[in-house]
Amino acid sequence: MRRHKSVQYLILAVMLLIGGYAVGRSFASSGDVLRPGDKPPSFRLADLQGEAHTLEEYAGNPLILNFWGTFCPPCREEMPALQQQYEAWKDEGLQVVGINLSEDRHRVENFIRRIGVSFPILLDTNRRTERAFGLREYPTTYFIDANGVIRQIVSGPLTIEEIDERVKSLLGSA
Amino acid sequence: MALIQNTKCECGHQNPVGTVLCEACGKPLDEELAASDSVLEMRYDGMARRSQKPHPNLIDRIWNFFSSVRVAVWLILITLVAAALGTIFPQESAFVNLTDPAAYYRENYGTAGAIYHALGLSRTFESWWFITLLVMIGASLVICSLDRVLPLYRALTRQQVRKHPQFITRQQVVYVGPVPGDAEEWTARFAEILRRKRYKVRTEGTALLAEKNRFSRWGPYVIHIGLIVFLLAVLMRGVIPGWYMDEYVGLDDGEIEQIPRTNYFVKSLGFRIDFYSDEELPEHLKGQLRVKQFTTKAVLYECVAYCDDATRDPELREVASHDIRVNSPLSYKGLRLYQYDFAETPRLISVRPTLIDKRTGRSYGPFELPMRDPPLTYSVGPFTLELKDSFPEFGLDENGEPVTLSREPNAPAFVFVIKGPGLPEEGVPYLYFPREADRQRFGQDRINGAAAEMFDIRVMSMEDVEFSTYTSYLNVRVDRGMPYVWTGAAITMIGLVMGIYWNHRRIWLRIDDGVLSLGAHTNKNRFGLRAEVAAALAKAGIEVDAKALDNRRKET
Repeated sequence: MRRHKSVQYLILAVMLLIGGYAVGRSFASSGDVLRPGDKPPSFRLADLQGEAHTLEEYAGNPLILNFWGTFCPPCREEMPALQQQYEAWKDEGLQVVGINLSEDRHRVENFIRRIGVSFPILLDTNRRTERAFGLREYPTTYFIDANGVIRQIVSGPLTIEEIDERVKSLLGSA
Repeated sequence: MALIQNTKCECGHQNPVGTVLCEACGKPLDEELAASDSVLEMRYDGMARRSQKPHPNLIDRIWNFFSSVRVAVWLILITLVAAALGTIFPQESAFVNLTDPAAYYRENYGTAGAIYHALGLSRTFESWWFITLLVMIGASLVICSLDRVLPLYRALTRQQVRKHPQFITRQQVVYVGPVPGDAEEWTARFAEILRRKRYKVRTEGTALLAEKNRFSRWGPYVIHIGLIVFLLAVLMRGVIPGWYMDEYVGLDDGEIEQIPRTNYFVKSLGFRIDFYSDEELPEHLKGQLRVKQFTTKAVLYECVAYCDDATRDPELREVASHDIRVNSPLSYKGLRLYQYDFAETPRLISVRPTLIDKRTGRSYGPFELPMRDPPLTYSVGPFTLELKDSFPEFGLDENGEPVTLSREPNAPAFVFVIKGPGLPEEGVPYLYFPREADRQRFGQDRINGAAAEMFDIRVMSMEDVEFSTYTSYLNVRVDRGMPYVWTGAAITMIGLVMGIYWNHRRIWLRIDDGVLSLGAHTNKNRFGLRAEVAAALAKAGIEVDAKALDNRRKET
């Protein structure tokens, strides 16, 4: 009878394992869209000089990740605000990275030159990164803390004040 | 149930608690049951089930919960209702691009839709509670089966030939009467008759046990194994990475796209719609456009190098090509690309325009100008064209500044600076719209002003235009669980056939002082068993009407 008991326990344990995993997965795979508290998916993208950069490079300091395109009016509107805030906070360790939405390089260059953006701009290709992030609207801005965890996700244009407020909370929490 | 139950039978066998019929001789153990003369309940041959063990601890209680058929029926009913509710409105997963599900359900199905979405029923089949129900059904299947199949197996492999008279005379089919001639001789003759009816017969003096088609008793458990394989396959599909994928790829003619979350790229060499000709159509449909076939000529590539390197183009190797039609997918290593949808989206891919110097009347070129990622300089005759800017979909913003309205080449425009003989050193800017309609709409010549007097850039013939007419949507599917789903279904079918087309029949008899007591049991088709017993008895010299063997008639 003891042998039966251990078999009984084994069967229950295996079922708990398989069942638990299956149920656990159903929580995890509730969609491809990122939420605050998630870690963003890694990427490897070229900058305007053709050099590759990965998400990991920006670890250790707060990061604003902004997805934008020249075809999207609110993206164009908020770009000066981002640049202004980058200059204001970069000495405190704030990093700002703009990921362009798979447009031709020369278009991106023209726009960046005209606005006078000095933070790094990375070029997505074939919408790959945008898909990995599950982007649904443009622009979308991710506020990521020094530990690499997304704190806030904002869809739509941001004003200087709105960025300022969030940067302060990012720097404060680090 | 009394706390201390005497489980020792008068034959001397010690039975586990919960035993209904003595494991050895078959005598009813319960005093109340022993005192009556009702037909015996032969479930699991009266064996105690594991879940009937006394003093259950927590693990036992969990085991007991899942071993209950009542619980299993409830679980199945709840799952049925949940699955039914999940089909009232389309599931979210059925949509390719649902940005705001809440709004979609509210707008399309009103309040009911809003409630449906709020309750999470729009994601029924991925929800944690639905998966939990499935897991519980799986647990119930495994435990219910084990709890019953093991005692039953033990009971059937350890059968005693000589049974208690009560056990024999309380079966469904019973005969009691005198035996003609010598008892042992008669038993041997009867055994031979039963053997010819394909029974396996064991005798012990004047006691006999005949049995056939025992395997049919395993049918239900084989069904359960099949269902467990089926359930596991379905669960694993959602759990093992790469086992299941359901994605959509939209391709313009000539366009190449990466299949999301894979190392594969697919290219469309062109989408085509064929219509039936008038000869092929019946009289009343003649003259109408009836679609005969949708075809996407597709090529599948595998990325072999630089796949995740954004700084250079991936190196691709062609692995498969196929004319994808409805129900004729491109198939490669478990990956299937189905024709799903199409849209008429005329788009330029590239043009080969000619540069005309209006001052001399001479023309130069043509030169290749792709809509996506155009080169930055072009040498055309003695002139150099530098691309300063481009707009995939040209438009003006609120300040009247030229902008692009999207990243699709719907109304492409290119800003060149033309340099060359007879021109100022900084060159002459020139805005070029490849599409004639855009050229008129935005007034290319008016914008270019003086430059329009000197130059014209235009496409001379349609041969110099490469364009895509359609966007073809392909459904990309991987379902590696399917072979296991089929295996499970096949096992279930085998179990079903085993359990339904054969029945387990047993005949016990003993002769005490010249009186034969015969009892017979089957798990289904009692009429067949009755007729078989009556025929066998007749051959052995005992004429009896088959109907008279029915034990139930005596109850009333």
